[in-house]
Amino acid sequence: MKRKYKGEVRTITGNAAAAYGAMLCRPDVVALYPITPQTEVVEQLSRFSADGLLDAEMVEVEGENTAMNIAAAATISGGRVFTASSSWGLAFMYDALLQTAGFRAPVVMVNVNREMPGILAVSTGQQDMIGTRDAGWIQIIAEDCQEILDLVIMAYRLAEDFDIQVPVMVNYDGFYLSYLSEGVNIPAREEVDVFLAPLKEQPERPKLVPGGPLGCGTHGIEKGFVELRYKHCAAMERAKKKFDEIDRLFGESFGRSYGGQIEEYRMEDAEIALVASGSAAGTVKTVIDSKRKQGLKIGLVKLRMFRPFPSERLSRVFRGKKAIGVIDRSVCFGWNCGPIYMELRALSPEIGLIPIMSFIDGLANMDISIVHIERMIDSVYAASQGKPYQRVTWVVLEE
Amino acid sequence: MVKLKIHTKYEGAWSNADELLLCLDTGSWRAERPMVDEEKCNYCGLCILYCPTQCMTNMEHHFVPNLDFCKGCGICARECPREAISMVAEGNFRDEEEI
Repeated sequence: MKRKYKGEVRTITGNAAAAYGAMLCRPDVVALYPITPQTEVVEQLSRFSADGLLDAEMVEVEGENTAMNIAAAATISGGRVFTASSSWGLAFMYDALLQTAGFRAPVVMVNVNREMPGILAVSTGQQDMIGTRDAGWIQIIAEDCQEILDLVIMAYRLAEDFDIQVPVMVNYDGFYLSYLSEGVNIPAREEVDVFLAPLKEQPERPKLVPGGPLGCGTHGIEKGFVELRYKHCAAMERAKKKFDEIDRLFGESFGRSYGGQIEEYRMEDAEIALVASGSAAGTVKTVIDSKRKQGLKIGLVKLRMFRPFPSERLSRVFRGKKAIGVIDRSVCFGWNCGPIYMELRALSPEIGLIPIMSFIDGLANMDISIVHIERMIDSVYAASQGKPYQRVTWVVLEE
Repeated sequence: MVKLKIHTKYEGAWSNADELLLCLDTGSWRAERPMVDEEKCNYCGLCILYCPTQCMTNMEHHFVPNLDFCKGCGICARECPREAISMVAEGNFRDEEEI
């Protein structure tokens, strides 16, 4: 590394926070293709490279598909890589995403959430993340700019862990967070080096080296395939507790921790609860604080990990509650509800047969506003009192 | 809990011709089996070089295919300069093996 980075508190955008996070982790290869609202990540990393802060091979690619294939290839050759995309770009690298996961190549990427094609929406929405939920990637979600930076650092520790070896996608809301400027505590590079150092003490994962010919990804049929799928699923299960542990260790090193797979906000004595993820969680907390002042026992569960789904912790936190409302910034085609709602419903046997309501809100840059959240809470409260309730609410269409 | 039979050594989809990584039972595809005549074989090793699955096993004075992986392609029989390998239909072995 040509220049040292000592760390500082700066007002930076969410995209810059992602770029700082990546830069601090010393990737060997960076392959990115610009797309709104992620472009600034590309610009920032190029600037770090030009300024001598980033000693990585910057690969100029002609599209996202190449970006992800380069990331996978560089990773199975033993390198640490970084890439980022969004929406249409994520769709264009879909086959490469699957390939990367199947190789168990511990790539770390940032996905700046944006609505998906069909309708040309240059606007936020988690539909891109939802569309890749079965790609075999670990998917984690940030709420603010500081969490973006912290999650990128944690993502390397998680992806490259010898017990995990699964690529990690760090998601944050496009527009709401990508261009939002906030004060962010940027750690010194030495601190990040120390945090990532335990990875070097682990057994070395296999890699492609000259003179040691190996194939990768060729177990096309029968038992070998089944075994690898089984191992992949088992690693995803291990990733849940590992993420909790990494979050705790991050707190010890940097003084910030977020609760691991989920953040429980005022849940201890809560009778009803909302589930939210991403930037909307901040607004929900504000509304919960004011509702608490009025005497309503309500809490929030912020989903920080979407894949693997934190089923054990969610079951535990919701047991004994009276009603739950789930806010989804995407839709589940074929179920006419929100996808996170649908997944939470799968935990009904563990949670108990209480009203669980789906609120579809915030699609295509519609604000998940204080007024909306208050309405959701009123509906969830009414349901908890035994009143009839509507299973799915398209919030902005009922105004 | 049921103990699962896992053969692959690595987490990722790594493969080579090493027995540790040969996890696919390609021998079950075989229609014809290469039979090596030990008397004719002069241990030249050409069959090893040509075998696509790399399953010819060195027996010190001759070579025999590893039948767990031999797909019965017949390339070894075709290439053997001394015609020491002949392909025999699998049906002929039904009586002696449980299939």
